[in-house]
Amino acid sequence: MNIVFVLIPLSLVLVSLACWAFFWSVNHAQFDDLDTPALIPLSEEAPQPTAPQPEDEAPQ
Amino acid sequence: MLVARIGALQHPVCCIGCRAAAEWIASLGLQDYYRLRDAPPPRAVSVGDYSAWDRPQLQRLYVHRRANGDAEVCVLLEGLRCAACSWLIERALGTMDGVRETSVSVPGKRVSIVWQPHIAPLGAVLAAIAHLGYVPHPLDRQSLSDVAEREQRAAMKRLVVAGLGMMQAMMFAIVLYAGALEGIETSTRDFFRWIGLLVTIPVVFYSARPFFAGAFRELRARRPGMDTPVAFAVALVFVASAVETVRGGAHVYFDSASMFVFLLLGGRYLEMRARHRASDIVDALARLQPAVAQRLGANGVVESVGVHELEVGDCVMVADGATVPADGELISTECRVDESLLSGESTPLLRRLGERLIAGSIVIDGPAQMRVARVGADTTLSSIVRLVARAQQQRPRWARYGDRAAAWFVSGLLLVTTITAAAWLAIDPGRAFPASLAVLVVACPCAFALAVPAALARSLAVLAQRGVLVLTPNAIESLTRANYFVFDKTGTLSERNVEIASSEVTGRLSLEQCLEIAAQLEAGSTHPIATALRAAAGHAEAVRARNLRRVDGNGIEGDVDGRHYRIGREQFAHTADAVDSDLIVLADDEGPLARFELRETLREDAAATIEGLRNAGAGIEILSGDSRVRVAALAGRLGITQFEGRVGPEQKLARLAQLRADGRNVAVVGDGVNDAPALAGADLAVAVGGGAELAKSSADIVLAGDHLAGLIHARYIAQATLRIMRQNLLWSLVYNAASLPLAAIGWIPPWLAVIGMSLSSLAVVVNSLRIKGSGAPGAIAQPTSSSSALRPVPA
Repeated sequence: MNIVFVLIPLSLVLVSLACWAFFWSVNHAQFDDLDTPALIPLSEEAPQPTAPQPEDEAPQ
Repeated sequence: MLVARIGALQHPVCCIGCRAAAEWIASLGLQDYYRLRDAPPPRAVSVGDYSAWDRPQLQRLYVHRRANGDAEVCVLLEGLRCAACSWLIERALGTMDGVRETSVSVPGKRVSIVWQPHIAPLGAVLAAIAHLGYVPHPLDRQSLSDVAEREQRAAMKRLVVAGLGMMQAMMFAIVLYAGALEGIETSTRDFFRWIGLLVTIPVVFYSARPFFAGAFRELRARRPGMDTPVAFAVALVFVASAVETVRGGAHVYFDSASMFVFLLLGGRYLEMRARHRASDIVDALARLQPAVAQRLGANGVVESVGVHELEVGDCVMVADGATVPADGELISTECRVDESLLSGESTPLLRRLGERLIAGSIVIDGPAQMRVARVGADTTLSSIVRLVARAQQQRPRWARYGDRAAAWFVSGLLLVTTITAAAWLAIDPGRAFPASLAVLVVACPCAFALAVPAALARSLAVLAQRGVLVLTPNAIESLTRANYFVFDKTGTLSERNVEIASSEVTGRLSLEQCLEIAAQLEAGSTHPIATALRAAAGHAEAVRARNLRRVDGNGIEGDVDGRHYRIGREQFAHTADAVDSDLIVLADDEGPLARFELRETLREDAAATIEGLRNAGAGIEILSGDSRVRVAALAGRLGITQFEGRVGPEQKLARLAQLRADGRNVAVVGDGVNDAPALAGADLAVAVGGGAELAKSSADIVLAGDHLAGLIHARYIAQATLRIMRQNLLWSLVYNAASLPLAAIGWIPPWLAVIGMSLSSLAVVVNSLRIKGSGAPGAIAQPTSSSSALRPVPA
């Protein structure tokens, strides 16, 4: 049972680490816009002029 | 027909601006935009002149200089619709030399740009944005450090701390419950209690701080509101548990305390998000008052200057379609101005030499030259703004639901606890502490405090999905009480354009041919009548009209396919002595060919909305600044018997005061600047989404989807919300009233008190989820963001 006296303080340390990480990301504008970044992976590659997709096949 | 070539495909487009935008997008390799966007963008406008933004006098107010020589500006973008827009802007500006960073905020409709001024002038950056089809309005420097953003960030941190703390506290609480059943060593139990205390401290002292601050404010103002019972409950449960931890008592309640804080913060967070989203759309006056004016120098040279640099006596050029920068008098011969936002007058007015132009109105047949007579705070527009501020102060503020109850609830709770403690001290001092603690926990007004916010947060979310943005918390209650609806006409019941009501041909040419000729003659005009005729002709062909000549105030003449035609007022088109009428006549040299009668276009759901409100038993009235004849015509089409024309902002306010003195709960629906004071003075103010920003800023509810029918929908949801709120309040009161006596006589063991408290809070939250948008009468299927993605290129 004595192991809990190590594990529980350890879990508290982890929680405070998570809290700190979250505060850091909020302060660095990571949560200000939650809509736009979702689209970035869809067009990862640099823009290059290619034949367009017919619009009716627009993936949504 | 105009087409834009994108790769191998041809897309039909509406105008040269759209074609330019589409082809420019393609040439940058940004066609992905059409796959990613979820709402069609605005029509590309012709790119204006943004060189004035390079003036240091103007930049001082708007641009923030960084230490390394870079400059930063925050720009409000008109027409920013969806995430694909932001992607387009970021990509397009990213290809510009000298632009270092662009970050677009779709919810805020703004972009912040960091650039190197010596490589790319600000004017060029803004012109590039305008080229894409968005109208940029730089915001002054204060908006860079946004209050709303800070509030949002702080709320998010508090919520997450409360959430993490709650999870930890619950985990340790489970150990304690299991230990109580299975047998646990006292030292181990105490260890877990101390750990529980440790994880609850940040929840109470950091996350719950807004509640304590609010309770302090309320107590100092001697008006206990919702924060007071919340703060009491949190403080009592926490202090009681801490005391129990120290003295090794029967039970601790850290899990309940942090769960309570988390649930409340969650509700408030949702409420705040809805409020921010609504107020983002409202950026008062930013778009109405232009920042730049074209000043005529002494030597006849036109110079772009900031509006704040204008002085009385300056001569200013106003281009076709531009906004008048200051009050003044016309010094060119004549022009036509659209004052519909300022006065409700639906047709553009003719102004002659020496007549007055009002800041904020739009010049239609420009360019015009004017001499500035009044600037800044002296303009008519600014006086309307002050009228709004005054009316807002007079508005009755409904006390928040439950506020009155909360005051006696808290004092009653404290009284019962004291009596319990005193009674048990007299009977059996050993049981005094556990019994009064059980009273506090059982009677903790958690469910009571959650009853209103939970229902409110849910209904705000449901309404926002339907495009109805609620700006003030009292709006829900006011909406259910409103029994008299006052509508503005122009822009609210009718759209800002006209349509052809009836047409009559003299027989020499068919109606189609007449419309075709009319559309040819009017091809280059931005006048509403021209737009209506072109729309009636259906499709746009290449312009074949020659020798077009516009006779201001009368009409247009020109040659189509070798014949000479005139279109316009009757006396202009064919005979000089015809009766003066509103008819538009097309004629050639031999006489009239066709007559068109014009009328205002009704908003497509106006009739259904009026019908729905009338069926609900509400009174309906139209107050408009437009002429009585037009108001009467429109009221007749909608079957409205109460109407008034030629009503200015102050008369509107007076009429509202009279209606309210008669005991009616008046809701005003409007969109123009002239409606803004009336909106601010009503019991409930509803602004229609496409309207002026000032109107929206004094509104309680904004119908963002531009659908009037949202009003009926919102009314239904508001009634459901109020019903649920009452159920929640009743349930929590019944629960508390029933359990309190049992706890006071010591029949409720602590563990049961905790379960009861949690279950009653949960019941309130689950009950609130029953507020749904579906099933509302008059519900109009609105295009969701995903279904509109398949629309073709803007045409």
